[in-house]
Amino acid sequence: MATDGYYGKLLEVDLTSGTVKVTKIPDDDIRKFIGGRGLGTKILWDRLKPGTDPLSPDNILMFMPGPFSGLPIPSSSRTCVVTKSTRTSPLTMKYDHSSTISYSNMGGFFGPELKFAGYDGLLVSGKSEKPVYIKIRNNKVTIEDASKYWGMGTDKFDRIFHREVGKGRWESCYIGPAGEILVPMASVLNTAARAAGRGGTGCVMGSKNLKAVVVQGSNMPNIANLEKYNELLEKIRRSFMKKDDKVMNWRYGGTANALSSSSKGGTQAVRNYSEGTFSEIEKIGTEANRKAIWKRDFACFSCQLACKKSGYAKGGYNTLVHDGPEYETGTMLGANLMISDICGLHKLIFVADDYGVDIISAGNTIGFLMEAYEKGDVSRDFLDGIDLTWSNVDASLAMLHKICKREGIGELASRGVKALSEKIGKGSSDYAIHVKGHELAAWNVPVGNRYWAVTYATANRGACHMNGGSAKGQNGACLQDSVGACSFASSWYRDDTHYRHFMNAITGLEWSEEEFNKAGARIFTLEKMFNYRDGFRREDDSIPEKFFTNKFTFGEHAGAIVDREEFKENMDNYYDSRGWDLKTSRPNNETLKENGLEFTI
Amino acid sequence: MAKKEINPDLSRRHFLNSLGIGTAGLLVMGSYGFTISRDPVTGKIKAIAVDFEKCAGCRTCETVCSAYNHKVNINGKMVNGSGSPFLSNIRVYHFNPDVDIPSTCALCNDAPCIEACPVAPDPVTGRKALYRDEETLTIRNDLARCIGCSVCAITCQSQRAGVIRPNPETGSPEYMCTLCDGDPQCVKYCPFDALSYIEMDDSRDLDNLAPEKIAEKMIKKLYNLNLTEV
Repeated sequence: MATDGYYGKLLEVDLTSGTVKVTKIPDDDIRKFIGGRGLGTKILWDRLKPGTDPLSPDNILMFMPGPFSGLPIPSSSRTCVVTKSTRTSPLTMKYDHSSTISYSNMGGFFGPELKFAGYDGLLVSGKSEKPVYIKIRNNKVTIEDASKYWGMGTDKFDRIFHREVGKGRWESCYIGPAGEILVPMASVLNTAARAAGRGGTGCVMGSKNLKAVVVQGSNMPNIANLEKYNELLEKIRRSFMKKDDKVMNWRYGGTANALSSSSKGGTQAVRNYSEGTFSEIEKIGTEANRKAIWKRDFACFSCQLACKKSGYAKGGYNTLVHDGPEYETGTMLGANLMISDICGLHKLIFVADDYGVDIISAGNTIGFLMEAYEKGDVSRDFLDGIDLTWSNVDASLAMLHKICKREGIGELASRGVKALSEKIGKGSSDYAIHVKGHELAAWNVPVGNRYWAVTYATANRGACHMNGGSAKGQNGACLQDSVGACSFASSWYRDDTHYRHFMNAITGLEWSEEEFNKAGARIFTLEKMFNYRDGFRREDDSIPEKFFTNKFTFGEHAGAIVDREEFKENMDNYYDSRGWDLKTSRPNNETLKENGLEFTI
Repeated sequence: MAKKEINPDLSRRHFLNSLGIGTAGLLVMGSYGFTISRDPVTGKIKAIAVDFEKCAGCRTCETVCSAYNHKVNINGKMVNGSGSPFLSNIRVYHFNPDVDIPSTCALCNDAPCIEACPVAPDPVTGRKALYRDEETLTIRNDLARCIGCSVCAITCQSQRAGVIRPNPETGSPEYMCTLCDGDPQCVKYCPFDALSYIEMDDSRDLDNLAPEKIAEKMIKKLYNLNLTEV
């Protein structure tokens, strides 16, 4: 018998041998690592040798729904893709292929369906000789030929594949052409828009010759305390159904609402992070999109916020709109490149999603090249003749195509800003905006840098805006990503509807508040140990030089900059609060023991 | 998204006309998949209408339908089940370009499913194995008399929404709407007010209930695209 709320089953597919097996997930791991990101981290630690090449058959790729995924708990449908990163590297390479853990989660319907099929997770290992997809229908699991889909963009694939795969309703996730040809910043998508975008998840999937996973199921895990569960569901549903301003704002604009507010607050990535405010932001913000583009709001499984927007852009660039701009895509391919042509922005987003590439890293990389070109650190020849000036949509599109095809300059650019700056030299590493090789996201650093600098510097997958700027915040994010809950809805899950109460009702186990929080700390610390094992040290927990030397010149926060000494002090305090060594950043043995991580010592 | 103010008492025919015109671009309520019952006081048909422009595809309707109609006995007390969408009588289908189409038993007046049932009517009740409940107007199946031929499901599939699906082992029809004892849970919990339980007249475009057909029209309307050309 598995723990209630779980099946205790991990579906394992080895693409080298073509074998399928189901292994038991130890109850103790469930109790300690919950599911999703946490359980994925534990399995990754157990299975991978230090220094594993992320693109070798030895790397594993996991699709990990949380215990909430598939249950009708509002806004809790998420699936975490966990693997070893193709994007990161330490300053001093301990192994030829030293890199961090990678975790990236996506909403939609795929994770819930995987749960309905009867599994708490899917682990893919090895490498297929030819392109394949994995087809899962409850306990019937097959590896199918995907040759005819190889090279197909995600939009077309999403439409055609579901018609052809078989009767009934299927849910899937897949890579686009970028993942297939091993663009390091490729992502995994579902519904042609929702993405596990970060950390090269799609590149790892491509390295296994795995185009897609498609699933259909009819199961449901046993619920320990159904009455309590129903009571909690009623309470939380009612709190959303009040339809207060908070709910209605999410529906109205999703995270695009932050395009305007963040710009005003000086926290937006503008002009490759040189500024925090974009004067033309209203041209691509919520109101502009409501007026000209968006036709429909879409929700993930059992969500009441419906932050995904679809429509059609007509103008200089006609394009179908599956999503966006939301805050990240609108900033990284908009404000950061000084682009305010709303149809041009939608075209860029569509093209990036169609190739299946991480829009955060791609936008950051194009922004870096724009700055390098402006400064004269690279020539037009270096850019294959592209006149890559600020706000130039056509040039940005041309560069995006090159990156996604690894063509010409795109071969180097597809590896991101760290690789580019190493090649270019001339001090360009000062404005290469990454941490550990992973590009920063759309939230700029100087304003509120006590939070943002620590957030980016300490994130275990390399720069990550969802990481949290304190131990407490980070542990909470770990729990959220492990149960399968969406961060956008976290503020509804307070007090007597906290995630912990749902966990207790589902499993019948009693997590005390302290014990539950400790699971968050345990997960984060194990990720850290994974990275430490591969050679990441304190000097890798830094932020780009630009933030210490560049002052904003524009907007209400002109003059904002990060103080070097303050940053060091904030980091010292952070390591202290974690019980990590100030010099190496390694978690102390006492800390590891206290978190039940003796096995890492 | 600017929406035209709508009167919930608008007739069914009006909705269909709006949809048929297409170019008007003001389809506010396309109530294709819905269930009916007769209001005991007015005697008018009461139906679950779907506003396909409001549905956000969250499938909350599926989970509450399933929980209510598949209760579990806990120490002698019947409580809602865990909400597996697989057991739900209402189903939301996703399409690309993005539209979501909820589909549920239409309780068709002419009920081709019942018509197709080969079991001879009971001499006393007049019921075949598949029959219409006189009180709720819902379609029900008498498991004791059902021979599991699945002809009802095949008929629904080919002529109507395709809501009825045969049990994979017994072949007996499943997924007919129960109206949840007069308080349809899908309507009650729909977060986007896409479902409503309202009075309307009884003219319906029963030949075009299949989700694919509705999706095609919605995609054309919203994005001005054909399903096959994009």
